[in-house]
Amino acid sequence: MLTLKYCKAGSACFISHIDLLRHVSRILRRAGITVNYSQGFNPHALVYFSPPLGVGVSSVAEYLTIDTDMNEDEVFERYNSAVPDTLRASGIFVCPKNPNLQGKVVSADYILDVPYKPIDLSGGFEISYGKKGQTVTEDVSDKIYSVFDEDGRLGLRLALGNTNLRPDRLIPRLNEMLGAEISITDVRKLRQYVEVGGALINVDDYLKTNF
Amino acid sequence: MESFKDRFFKLLAEVEKPARYSGGEWNTPDMDKPRKADMCFCFPELYEIGMSNLGVQILYDIINADKDFVAERCFAPAQDLADRLRAENIPLLSIETKKPLKDFTVLGFSIGFELLYTNVLYMLDLAGIPFLAKDRGEDYPILLAGGPCSVNPEPFADFFDVIVCGEGEEADIAILRAVADGREKGLSKAEILANIKNIEGAYVPSLKKDGETVKKAVVRDFENAPFPRRPLVPNIETVHDRAVLELYRGCGSGCRFCQAGFWYRPIRERSAESLADIGKDMIDSAGFSEMSLCSLSTGDYSELQRLEELLVPFCNEKHINLALPSLRISSFKSDMVRQSRRSSLTFAPEAGTQRLRNVINKNVTDEEIENLAEAFEVGYESIKLYFMLGLPTETDEDIAGIAEICKKLKNLYYLKRRKRGLNISVSCAVFIPKPCTPFQWEAQISFDEMLRRQQYLRGLLREIKGVSFSWHGAETSVLEASLARGDRRQSALLIRAYELGAKFDAWTESFNWDIWKQAFSDCGLSVDEYIRERGADEVLPWDFIDTGVSKKYLRRERDMGYAGITTKNCRDGCNACGANRFGRCSIC
Repeated sequence: MLTLKYCKAGSACFISHIDLLRHVSRILRRAGITVNYSQGFNPHALVYFSPPLGVGVSSVAEYLTIDTDMNEDEVFERYNSAVPDTLRASGIFVCPKNPNLQGKVVSADYILDVPYKPIDLSGGFEISYGKKGQTVTEDVSDKIYSVFDEDGRLGLRLALGNTNLRPDRLIPRLNEMLGAEISITDVRKLRQYVEVGGALINVDDYLKTNF
Repeated sequence: MESFKDRFFKLLAEVEKPARYSGGEWNTPDMDKPRKADMCFCFPELYEIGMSNLGVQILYDIINADKDFVAERCFAPAQDLADRLRAENIPLLSIETKKPLKDFTVLGFSIGFELLYTNVLYMLDLAGIPFLAKDRGEDYPILLAGGPCSVNPEPFADFFDVIVCGEGEEADIAILRAVADGREKGLSKAEILANIKNIEGAYVPSLKKDGETVKKAVVRDFENAPFPRRPLVPNIETVHDRAVLELYRGCGSGCRFCQAGFWYRPIRERSAESLADIGKDMIDSAGFSEMSLCSLSTGDYSELQRLEELLVPFCNEKHINLALPSLRISSFKSDMVRQSRRSSLTFAPEAGTQRLRNVINKNVTDEEIENLAEAFEVGYESIKLYFMLGLPTETDEDIAGIAEICKKLKNLYYLKRRKRGLNISVSCAVFIPKPCTPFQWEAQISFDEMLRRQQYLRGLLREIKGVSFSWHGAETSVLEASLARGDRRQSALLIRAYELGAKFDAWTESFNWDIWKQAFSDCGLSVDEYIRERGADEVLPWDFIDTGVSKKYLRRERDMGYAGITTKNCRDGCNACGANRFGRCSIC
């Protein structure tokens, strides 16, 4: 198993997760990366993803696990020769088995294109968003794990995975609080985390262990 | 020049399916190269539909491969983006470089269907470009139209500077060259258009004199004609999201209702070797998981078996599904079906009785329908059947024949397999008399008669278990017929309909017949006048286009149809339609 770390930038941020699945199958085919297939009536390529990224959000830390017998240098090179810059890989990890990031990831860091200002969450953080034609108001302070200064910009660590907070839903409230005018395309995912023994571990580090 | 890129990008976050507009597809050609002229292909439908159009893909590839030119694309935006663009005062932009359509040297509209006409105006409106060619000065791009609707370009002739009648592969490049040369020499638009007029296939409405003909453009050397080996890989799922190989152009079947069958003559095939080579390149460069073979009657391609031999091992190795669409019953080969793993068969007998099939020259015999038993033996459990209602000379007996075919298929099925029931889906279009066919003079049946016949068939099919029935809307069929055989007066009609809110007329949810009725009446035109039978001696609006097939030949075919006499497939011997004046039929 090999896990590629790739970005989703520029125009690629508008590719939905469903479309991304189809893209990946095409990328691997034109890259000439031989993927192992499932046995069964409808064999499918054995590839695994990290949790879906919302449409419009960009990222420098998406993960794609491939069941292949090729070596990591070749896969890395072949992958990058078959994708536009907007989906380029920055690293590759050799994994003893499928790291199951889709199920294991618990949070992610995002950077928002707005100057950093501390945000007080002690009084709760209420947001409103539309869901199935109705407006839902919810206190999401328990899903905002931290607010930090990321190179002078606003950084947020949000729940991701089974407990999830979509960054786009924070934007109206943040714009109001900060007097900003950012949109979903101003949000970029920087890092993803899994939880091991009660501690958050960056997926990059996790993949280097023998999990 | 103002750059709209960043503002546009932000808007995309607010619309449905933003990947339709974002660009950045794999295999996008170099957009930075120096150029003498640039062109934007405008497709008056949504991205998903437009990206499936093979013609646009071919032309886009040819122009970008030329050292002097660059081609970009633009599709009709959905209403949500159109509203946002208007609110933000951003004009319609190309996908690749987000450049306003107004700033291109040439805009090329591909028009494949009559119900897209209002979307041309919708796009021009969003681009801030006046509708009428005569209202556009030197500062505007030169507007081209092309595509299947160039068979009868009169309804939209007032909108365009040039209409390419026929195949654009050579004509488009020649036109771009003429525009670039003209601009370099400082020629006026009128002078440039005068030069373009000499290019084969180019119809310049403003310069056409009475009695002049326009010769349809034809690619003579189809074997060596360019075909995209590095096709764009769409960002979102499109209608035909796969590698498509065009096996041949033209069709030898001679179905008398079929416009494409006459318009794309002469028949020109590409060799199996060359096709397989192109197909492999497409898969290797794009990575599609599916490949389909496309032409008007794929099963008739003379090297089909050779092509399969070349493609099947390659496709198996790369886990590619090789799809074989729209087989005519007469070309049904069970060994081919066995190799592909499809759950549903599709056949188009078009008419319910042998008598009527002889009239329309759809050479599918009752015997061949019975051959479908072989398919059931192989394991097929569902079948789609396509028919037309309202064909010339049709009686209720012919309609009842459709139900008879369904019953016959069910019986055949039960003789072979009894596990599960057979699913039959019957789809009925309404016959639309189209220019450049033997039935171009025919009347379309009245609106009420369409409904009556649909109801009659529906009643008959309801009695057969396992049959589902779907039909085309009567209103859209009437509109399509009116526009297909329309004339120059309809340019005003189209503008009026657009002003009243018509657009995306091909979509049931946005089609509004009341708008069209109003537009016809506002322009002093009547639908009945357009769908009536045309006299044999009448001058038809599209007569000035020389398609190679003479009016006399079409009329003779029409008379033979009425007499119930069939014409053999061109592949069984030349019928002397005249199209070989435009280059040799590669099958004769």
